[in-house]
Amino acid sequence: MTGKSLSGTTTVAVAGILVVLLMMAGCLGNDQTAAPERITVTGSTTVMPIAEQAREAFEAQDASAEIMVSGGGSSVGVKAAGEGTADIGMSSRDLKPEETAGYPDLVKHHIADDAILLIVNPGNSVESLTLDEVRGIYNGTYTNWNQVGGSEAQIVVVGRDSASGTREFFSEFVMDEEDFTRTQEEFNSNGGIQQKVSQTPGAFGYVGLGYTEGVKPLALDVGGTSVEPTLQNITDGTYPISRPLYMLTNGEPEGLAQRYIDFILSAEGQEIVASEDYIPVRG
Amino acid sequence: MAKGFSIRARCQNFGWPRDRGTGEIGRPIIGAKRRFVDRAVGKMLFCAALAAIVAVFFIIVFLLRDGYQIVLETGLWNFLVGAEWNPTGLNPAYGVFPLITGTILVMALAMVIAVPLSIGSAVFIAEIASPGMKSVIKPAIELLAGIPSVVYGFFGLILLTDWIRVVFDQPSGSSWLAGSILLAIMAIPTITSVAEDAISSVPREFKEGSLALGATHWQTIRRVIVPGALSGISAAIILGMGRAIGETMAVLMVTGNAAVIPDPIYDVFSPVRTLTGTLGIEMGEVAFGSTHYHALFGVAVVLLFTTLAINSAARVIITRIQGTQGTARPTPSGRVKAAILHSTPYQAITGAASRITHAVSAPFGRLLPPRASQRCAFLLVSLSVAIVIAALGVILFELVVNGAGAISWEFLTGSPRDLGRAGGIFPAIVGTFYLVGGALAIALPLGIATAVYLVEYTAETPLTRSTRTAVDLLNGTPSIVFGLFGFAFLVLFMGFGVSLIAGQITLGLMILPMIIRTTEEALRSIPGSLREGSYALGATKWQTIWRVVLPPALPGILTGAILSIGRAAGETAPIMFTAAIFSSRFLPSSLTEPVMALPYHLFVLTTTVPGAATQSYGTAFVLLLLVLTIYLAAILVRRRYHRATVM
Repeated sequence: MTGKSLSGTTTVAVAGILVVLLMMAGCLGNDQTAAPERITVTGSTTVMPIAEQAREAFEAQDASAEIMVSGGGSSVGVKAAGEGTADIGMSSRDLKPEETAGYPDLVKHHIADDAILLIVNPGNSVESLTLDEVRGIYNGTYTNWNQVGGSEAQIVVVGRDSASGTREFFSEFVMDEEDFTRTQEEFNSNGGIQQKVSQTPGAFGYVGLGYTEGVKPLALDVGGTSVEPTLQNITDGTYPISRPLYMLTNGEPEGLAQRYIDFILSAEGQEIVASEDYIPVRG
Repeated sequence: MAKGFSIRARCQNFGWPRDRGTGEIGRPIIGAKRRFVDRAVGKMLFCAALAAIVAVFFIIVFLLRDGYQIVLETGLWNFLVGAEWNPTGLNPAYGVFPLITGTILVMALAMVIAVPLSIGSAVFIAEIASPGMKSVIKPAIELLAGIPSVVYGFFGLILLTDWIRVVFDQPSGSSWLAGSILLAIMAIPTITSVAEDAISSVPREFKEGSLALGATHWQTIRRVIVPGALSGISAAIILGMGRAIGETMAVLMVTGNAAVIPDPIYDVFSPVRTLTGTLGIEMGEVAFGSTHYHALFGVAVVLLFTTLAINSAARVIITRIQGTQGTARPTPSGRVKAAILHSTPYQAITGAASRITHAVSAPFGRLLPPRASQRCAFLLVSLSVAIVIAALGVILFELVVNGAGAISWEFLTGSPRDLGRAGGIFPAIVGTFYLVGGALAIALPLGIATAVYLVEYTAETPLTRSTRTAVDLLNGTPSIVFGLFGFAFLVLFMGFGVSLIAGQITLGLMILPMIIRTTEEALRSIPGSLREGSYALGATKWQTIWRVVLPPALPGILTGAILSIGRAAGETAPIMFTAAIFSSRFLPSSLTEPVMALPYHLFVLTTTVPGAATQSYGTAFVLLLLVLTIYLAAILVRRRYHRATVM
């Protein structure tokens, strides 16, 4: 029984203590006694930046409030709000028929709008495209930039994954629900597309308004006039590709959830919306 | 001497007659209480072993429950061989064939890259390296296994794809090749360690005999040692394949995810999409209860069965090897060969392996004199180690140089602000500890109990066999499938919501097989004579296990526990849908709250938050440091343990 060397025993003991401490960390965690008022906010990653920045400002004013924000996707948001696993769901798309049927009590709060930008690598000489050209690129009609007024280079078509709310909107608005070219590379986030386009000279993608670092947003050629995606143009509807963003509650919101949504819709909250590069819906 | 004394002393302590005169080693008289405890413990261990089966049962049931509708919708045949995956088109198509093809292609190329490098490294470590060199290279390669897959993905997204685009002058770097290179780097440590063990276990006499006959060292390696270790090497390759096929995060970040079959089929620069990648990117935003949702669960079932097939093949081979090792050392002749012939995947792998070895070595053997060919071969072998070490070096260098700058007191102790672009990651560090700790609290007792039951309590019964199969199934299940199960069962069905407890259980299930496996190994390594000695002294089964078998097995069990901590700390896929949130003001105060976690934080920072590059590198650096420290601890414990047993 005592055949083991002492140094071996020591190592084992130290490692054992480490394991036990970790297990205790897992079991414990009940160190806060005063329970602050809590809500959870979950869903669309597109809406997440607004929820997150608003949380920071709101919590600075209300010491007892705790708002927990997580991503996951629009459907997670709808489901969580409908099932009551979260107090507020976030969605970057409208409810689908099966969702409206499944959760008839969901209340939509339109908190902001988001424009979708068409982006290319900064080295690309193309400045603007018509919607038809955009569709032509995404359905595979155009495969080289010289077909749409650029230099000789293969177009690398980049888009969102097939479950994305952003892609769904893009598909309805730009593509008339035509199929995307099958060689389209798919990413599951705006950031992924931005990263890809900023690295790849021939890439073409679409992202939300906030993702312009290192990429060049294209103007849209609407009936012969080139419309830049400026805040002004998007707000007054001249730049056509924009969509509403929602927060969802099961029934009318109460307590902290209500105060939080009211805060986002207040002048201060809408300033946060604008500062995160979304389009305010009020003021 | 000391041992003899202690046995005599114990006999006197227990106070039962030393000579019962029956002539057989029967049970001494046992007190009713002790007998009761013994039986109760046996029952409890039995329940623990059942838990593993139940877990597998639930996973399969819950995947099928949400997945079978797709087969009703499209028909099994159309689902499996349909050439188009386009769930949101005007005419939705749910054919997983391109995804299966993508998975197989990425894995196959990864193996083509990883196998020669791994075998080269294994040969180098086992045969060529000096002891000093070996003590550095071996842990270094094992550390590669500790790098979390989201860190690999981060590295691949930022550097590898860009590098491929520039070097090969392609329009886009996100490709089959990028995925395969990343998977190869991830599979190399697994293959190398197992292959090195196999090579080292070839009996010394074989090598000495060959050298004595005048063969060069290389001829000996090529003709005697590698063929002798071939079965072990093949098992290593299959284990590596298992690791590669279940990988999610790294692959989905670099392969481009276009659901196409490369045209032509050997176009390695074509984007591809894997089964795991599809789940990883589409699961979050799919509408619940829609056909698409069911199709994704269908994909998970296909994935589960694919990995099952690969892992069963590995299991068959490993059992064969274990079966032969007791009587004769593995040699490529006679009985072993006959056994080998029964297994087709084994045959294929072995064929491929030997062809590769020959392809590498043959030219030198024919054209050059033995000495020169040895020099060339050793050069190649050393080169493969150099490539592996260089890969590790590049990744570490990149992360350390860019990540160390982000580390500050505030970064380590503060809460994130401005979407993680400012502030710190303290809640994520603590959250990771909570998740891992909870997972361990669930898996460690359950895992050890199951292993004890399997090793100590049973002969081969249908129950043991199904428990073993269940454990193997769990072991091969890709982490994203655990994530889906946790989501379908814990979050929705049980109504836990996205919470700490859901994440702990999911991670606990994920590490359970690893703990069972390593504990089993540790228990088996305790000689049977110790147990017999204890029984002979009249100890009950449970007394024997508790006092005699478990203490010396402890270091082995701890190694397993530590390795699973590392695995659990680095995984993203299982917590993505079950436990993780992006931000939280306070630390979680109950099990029903969600938590922040490092891998998820890194994933979101990299893919969703613009302008957070510094914080991404910082988070990757902290995560890497954390996991590598844990792995280093495991390596140290094992080394101490080995030294202790040798003494």
